[in-house]
Amino acid sequence: MTTSVLPAPQAAPPAPPPATRPQPGPPDRPSTSRRLRLRTVPGRIRAWAAAAVVALVVLFALATMAIGDARDGLYVVGKGAGRQVVATADLYYALSDMDTQVANMLLIGEERLGGGREQAMARYEQSRANASEALLQAADLADDDTERATVRSLLNKLGEYERRAGQALLLDDRADHPAGPPSDPEVLRLYREATNLMRLELLPQAYNLTLDNGVIVRRGYEEQHAAVQTGRVAVAIAGLVTLVLLVGLQVYLARRFRRILNPALLAATIVVTVLVGLVMGLLDREAANLRTAKEDGFNSVLALARARAISNSLHGDQSRYLLDPAGADTYEQVYLDKSQRVLHTDAGNLDKYYASLRTILKEYPEKVTFLGLLGDEANNARTKAHRDALAETLERYEIFQQSDRRLRLMKQSDQVQAVRFRMADVSRTFEEYDKSLMALADSHERTLRAAIDDGDAALAGWDYILPAAVLATVALIFVGVRPRLQEYR
Amino acid sequence: MRARRALVGLAVLAVAAAGCGAGGDRPSILGKEELVIGVKPDQPGLGLKRQDGAYEGFDVDVAKEVAKRVAGSGVRVRFVDAPSSERERMLRSREVDLVVASYSITPKRKTQVGFAGPYYVAHQDILVRRSETRINNVRDLSGRTLCDVTGSNSYRRVREEKKIAVRPVESASYSECVDKLRNGVVDAVSTDDLILAGFAASQAGQFKIVNRPFTDERYGIGIHRDDIDGCEAVNKAITQMYQDGTAKKLLDKWFGPTDLEYTTTVPEFEGCG
Repeated sequence: MTTSVLPAPQAAPPAPPPATRPQPGPPDRPSTSRRLRLRTVPGRIRAWAAAAVVALVVLFALATMAIGDARDGLYVVGKGAGRQVVATADLYYALSDMDTQVANMLLIGEERLGGGREQAMARYEQSRANASEALLQAADLADDDTERATVRSLLNKLGEYERRAGQALLLDDRADHPAGPPSDPEVLRLYREATNLMRLELLPQAYNLTLDNGVIVRRGYEEQHAAVQTGRVAVAIAGLVTLVLLVGLQVYLARRFRRILNPALLAATIVVTVLVGLVMGLLDREAANLRTAKEDGFNSVLALARARAISNSLHGDQSRYLLDPAGADTYEQVYLDKSQRVLHTDAGNLDKYYASLRTILKEYPEKVTFLGLLGDEANNARTKAHRDALAETLERYEIFQQSDRRLRLMKQSDQVQAVRFRMADVSRTFEEYDKSLMALADSHERTLRAAIDDGDAALAGWDYILPAAVLATVALIFVGVRPRLQEYR
Repeated sequence: MRARRALVGLAVLAVAAAGCGAGGDRPSILGKEELVIGVKPDQPGLGLKRQDGAYEGFDVDVAKEVAKRVAGSGVRVRFVDAPSSERERMLRSREVDLVVASYSITPKRKTQVGFAGPYYVAHQDILVRRSETRINNVRDLSGRTLCDVTGSNSYRRVREEKKIAVRPVESASYSECVDKLRNGVVDAVSTDDLILAGFAASQAGQFKIVNRPFTDERYGIGIHRDDIDGCEAVNKAITQMYQDGTAKKLLDKWFGPTDLEYTTTVPEFEGCG
């Protein structure tokens, strides 16, 4: 803040403020030396009035700054980087889905499962288009060199991924095979290259972009939230000082001129009191809105976007588990690791994990015994709407995991049946879980929007109210002291 | 005079009010002149305390790079031993600023400490004698002897989680396991691939890594939970290390001579706070 460079009081206190209105007063002012002499009555009146005007200007500046901080805070959380978080989360989802669809196409073989290859292909194309669009958006909004380098690397690797996946698909086309792993080992080798590129290079960078934007939002929020609260204290102090000066001037005039009240000064005092009260209330409301938008809205939107990204990727691991016999153990373990990141509970293997999900579900919402992203969400969900939506998500998640259990059992006895089950039941339970996750995120998004909208609505008009009120007060002070000064002419 | 005093008072108050906003004195690693970093003293290739008291290894080099990028090239770095069981306590009491000690990010640890990174995602893999031909993935361990290090859950993962009928041979440490592997007492040692590679590199030519990773171990950089600014700065440093090739250089330096297939691109971060 630059308020420290106030005009020192010794330097000529500004005579009746210049910018108020066409000055009706007499042009022949007293000489500078006389004006500065505080021992004379008009000198003192001028000093009081000037001090009050200076205090008002400071009040105006502080309030303007605090309101500006509130506006910036609302922008960064609700629009700017907040929006970007959603865009990059979409990127991760689209990329991950591309890889899942490639695995599905290879897995389906000649069978017409879940709409067959054509449908998987169409979905792949759709996800690719979404990924390109999200990447363009990310490129547009990347705001430092590290982030730009990440976007550039993503663009390059995406081309490489498509080339490799295309080769695998083309080769697989040549040799029809029943549902299950492709008959040609070269297909698997090519797909492994593609999926490793996706899982080890593309997805991490996309994920980190989302986190980068989360960082921008957090910093912006903390800075502006603190600034608004400091601004509130500063406005209170400046307001108090202004009021003391106005009352002081009132008292001085009353004693000196034996008049009980100076109506104009009284009006100025009232205007300042009301103004300070309103600004304090406004800043209070804005700080609360910022907090709600960030803590109850944005934090969950970000955490759930991450949960959705990881969930989609573990869903893909189910297909890869069926597709690549040599990698099945790895994909199964990675599936468990990712499940644990979504919802963590003490379970060393999948069987224990499925079992403990049931317990967790029974205990929620009375007891939250789980960690991970949904655990964070459980601690974040403060309203009933959020808690209900989370309960629904947990239930869907458990159903999905149960279908995973059956999938793995089935694979041991009948590979083709397992693939069919993957394309039908597992897909369906996953989609329902995914939908409930989105609904949960939407409920937080609504909280976020509502807080931002309320914040914006509260700010409306202050660009005019504040200067108008300050100018009116200055005018009232001028009107209040001018007749007294004229008595000394 | 009263008027003048009031004016001065106003200015003072305004300055004071402006000053309040600058505050926020949560301690952070940012801007520190000296960073104390906990590393492993007994893990060849990752963190090893030499005879002269200096530390060396991949973790140590990563720690130096991160410190330089986060706190400036003038920063002094002091390394201390960070035994596995002490890591959370050391971070919480601020005895160390960072822990870079093959420290896996887990949700449970995250309730106590913060994690930047991971700077590398290690995987549980298998180390065998160079002459071994029959062990090509974890399933092939069935019926064979596997080293079981007291207190480590790598063995448990194979036996209980993967339900593979391995025969345990108990040992106190992985270096003992490696000796037993050389002498033919065990057929395989299984733990994080970077740890295996470290041993393989220190005894060149005797062992090989199967390169069939079956878990993800996300090696994070431990940091105090409240130091979110510091954590974010460390993440940025890690990203840059991968982007400018420093990470690859360090991986090549420590694991290049082994047959480990390592990843040279930035891992998926955990996210701070």
